[in-house]
Amino acid sequence: MATVTVNSLTFTYPQRQRPVLDDLAVTFPGGKFSLLTGVSGGGKSTLLRLIAGLTPLPTPNTITFDGNPLSAIAPGKRAATVAMLFQEPSTQFTMDTVVNELRFALENQRVDPAAIPGKIDAALAFIGITNLKDRSLMALSGGEQQKVALAIIVAMDSDVILLDEPFASIDPPTRLTLLQKLVALCTQRGKTIILADHDLSGYDEWVDHLAVLDTGKVTLLSTEQTQQRFAAFTPEQLRLTHVTQPSSALTVSLQGSQLGIAQGKRQLIQPQDLSFFAHRATLITGPNGSGKSTLFRALVRLGKYQGTLTYDGTNIQKLSRKRYAREVGLMFQSATAQFLNVTVTEELDLSRRFGNADYFTAERVQDLLTQLNLADHAEQVIYSLSSGQQKKLQLLCMLIMAPDVLLLDEPLKGLDFASIQVVMQILTTAQRDLKLTLIMVSHQLSGLDDLITLHLHLDQQHLTYEGAAE
Amino acid sequence: MNPSLKLALTVFIALEVSFAQVWTVNVALIVVSLILMLINHVSFKRLLYLTLVPLFFSSTLVWSLSLRGSASPHFLLVIFTRLFVYVYMGGLFTQTTDPLMLTRSLEQNAKLPAKFAYGFLAAFNLMPKIKAEVATIKAAAMMRGQILHFWSPQLYFKVILAAMNWSDQLAAAMTSHGFVEGAPRTHALTIPLVARDWWFFGGALLLVQVGLFSGLR
Amino acid sequence: MKRWHIRDIILVTILAIFMGVIFWVIGPLYTVLAAALAPFGLSPLANELLLGIWVMAGPLAGFIIRIPGAATLGELLGAVVEMFLGGIWGASTLISGVVQGFGSELGFIFTGYKRYTWSTLVLTALTTTIVTFTWDLFRSGYAAYHVPFLLLLFAVRFASVFVFGGVLTKLINNLLVRAHVLPNATH
Repeated sequence: MATVTVNSLTFTYPQRQRPVLDDLAVTFPGGKFSLLTGVSGGGKSTLLRLIAGLTPLPTPNTITFDGNPLSAIAPGKRAATVAMLFQEPSTQFTMDTVVNELRFALENQRVDPAAIPGKIDAALAFIGITNLKDRSLMALSGGEQQKVALAIIVAMDSDVILLDEPFASIDPPTRLTLLQKLVALCTQRGKTIILADHDLSGYDEWVDHLAVLDTGKVTLLSTEQTQQRFAAFTPEQLRLTHVTQPSSALTVSLQGSQLGIAQGKRQLIQPQDLSFFAHRATLITGPNGSGKSTLFRALVRLGKYQGTLTYDGTNIQKLSRKRYAREVGLMFQSATAQFLNVTVTEELDLSRRFGNADYFTAERVQDLLTQLNLADHAEQVIYSLSSGQQKKLQLLCMLIMAPDVLLLDEPLKGLDFASIQVVMQILTTAQRDLKLTLIMVSHQLSGLDDLITLHLHLDQQHLTYEGAAE
Repeated sequence: MNPSLKLALTVFIALEVSFAQVWTVNVALIVVSLILMLINHVSFKRLLYLTLVPLFFSSTLVWSLSLRGSASPHFLLVIFTRLFVYVYMGGLFTQTTDPLMLTRSLEQNAKLPAKFAYGFLAAFNLMPKIKAEVATIKAAAMMRGQILHFWSPQLYFKVILAAMNWSDQLAAAMTSHGFVEGAPRTHALTIPLVARDWWFFGGALLLVQVGLFSGLR
Repeated sequence: MKRWHIRDIILVTILAIFMGVIFWVIGPLYTVLAAALAPFGLSPLANELLLGIWVMAGPLAGFIIRIPGAATLGELLGAVVEMFLGGIWGASTLISGVVQGFGSELGFIFTGYKRYTWSTLVLTALTTTIVTFTWDLFRSGYAAYHVPFLLLLFAVRFASVFVFGGVLTKLINNLLVRAHVLPNATH
């Protein structure tokens, strides 16, 4: 049972003026489950990385475990003190298979080879994934990979377990299993757990403390305060007032016949007939990890699918890749995947060169930049923008391209309330003016009402249009 | 045979063959490699590939050497068989060696620093991700009206940015899993290096030397 | 002098794998080119024309990682990847990898791992060409060619290495420097 104490910690990103963590002091109680919350880009990951010793401390000894700084702990014992589970499931392993990764971690701790098999089997059994032991890590689903990552931490017997947005792309049943195991690690084994998530929903029955990170400082709430905060918190509700069943008058844009989506051997969407309608804005909702992004990748020919897909009546496999890419575009979930250049201006110029420059005149683009608070960043390097600024620039670039069909994968992710309002207004105006076909996946549910007129819900591996008949 | 010694033997013989001009030794090496591959159940398809590839390239090489050079028939025979030696010995090595065993052996037997051994392994497991990333970058560019070719700097730029991200993430994950550069580790599986490996290594080298010596005379 | 850390090792390996993927992609082009040139006895030209891409991992790693040995390691690992993918040079790939990598490394050695400019790239292109060509004089029997043809091969090889290992590498490097992602770059 280890108490994590942070004392007068100040941290500034390289090439930034304002510190992201500002004279921060907090004590995470030993043997308790704390939820670290705060806005995206507010420094949660940075704090966790500093605690885990992955980022060097700007001033030594500002973080201690039961009074000992990590540097005072022998290298072979550090992973037994603190370990981290990461947001991106697939890039946290060194070896090829589950058992080899567990061996690797235990070898690092200098565990006697004779004791290694026993520890591996016990850890896998604790998480309930003994059946995955000899599987290749890269062939596992994101949820399974997170389970393996937790099993490794269990095998290493780490006192402090840090988790950085671990459920970002994880299906609800797996999330539930992981939370149950985490609580068991707290109560049965006295582990200290700090989990970072920007979203409070679905944690009230699991965590002991809420730790709120705001403007560089952390406030730890007591158990009572935490429960009060959860009681006062209502998860966002989806409110769509214009949604109806698609009417027969609509034009079909993309059409799937017996369209099915699988990832490896796992079926995500059962084969079904599915139409997407032209000049309309469609919202797709569904649980994390249910296959929405995979569906989008299939629609732009970046992933395999079962059945056939047609665009304006032609099988998309028969269209030239170049032409199809200009007609059906995807705004990727990760903003940086979209960019090809270095500065904001270069990126916008590229879009205007090949996109709809008649509508997106230089004046209009300048006006949109001002609305998005990006006008002062024209010459800035994209990779030094905040994640929210990158997201807004990405949206603008894809809107300027104005493809007939624009798929938007979480276009509002990580944006603050004011930005969401602006972005939605821009999207709505462009959609009406240019008669774009928009298909959007979003977990951010507020502010969508003006735009969305069709709503597909993915449940039990099946997509269904919601709403009453028109 | 111990993977590190097998690697050393393969590279050493390949190096010698590159300079020596004894076609009989080349043929002997080809035959031995072929027999060993058959014993180790290398698939027929693989063998066919390992034969057709050098057949094409050594034929064109020999043809151009005879057309554009002043090589003796003996020299052409040496060059022709040399390519087969490379490919067959390379095939024998890769088909009978598990990369993970080789890395473990290099760490344990050849004293390669663990950071190199596990750094390589971590990156090798990303192979499918790297291929997918290249496809994504090309598709993203096409959606913006740009076609990226293998000579487009932007393709490399984007891949390198992704690679930098992944290497940060993997390095952090390794640290989190207890890996410390230069710190001692235990080994759950030990790769044996026994007297028989050394005898085989020495014997094979000696045979090649005898062959080369008698062939050169 | 900067030492190798685990992050650099992973990065150089990913680069090598990526170059392996690129080489895999252009493999058919090489075969077609070699086959087309073969009747005229010019098939080595196919090798020379595309050699620059194969040796690119060296200067690229040298420019991005800027640690002594980066070019050699990048190229050697590229060779390991190629050998396991089943490249045409089999066991000699590893030796070639070291030779090619060392050829590029020489350019960085001569500039003391301090200057990363055009002149460095021209120099690495030259050292790479000379070292690899010497190796091919033996391995591929180039020594038996008539001198004019040999000169042609050398010139084509240098041009290819200069274009891919020099110009393209520098353009990539410029983008990376402008994006401020090279921590070891000073300008």
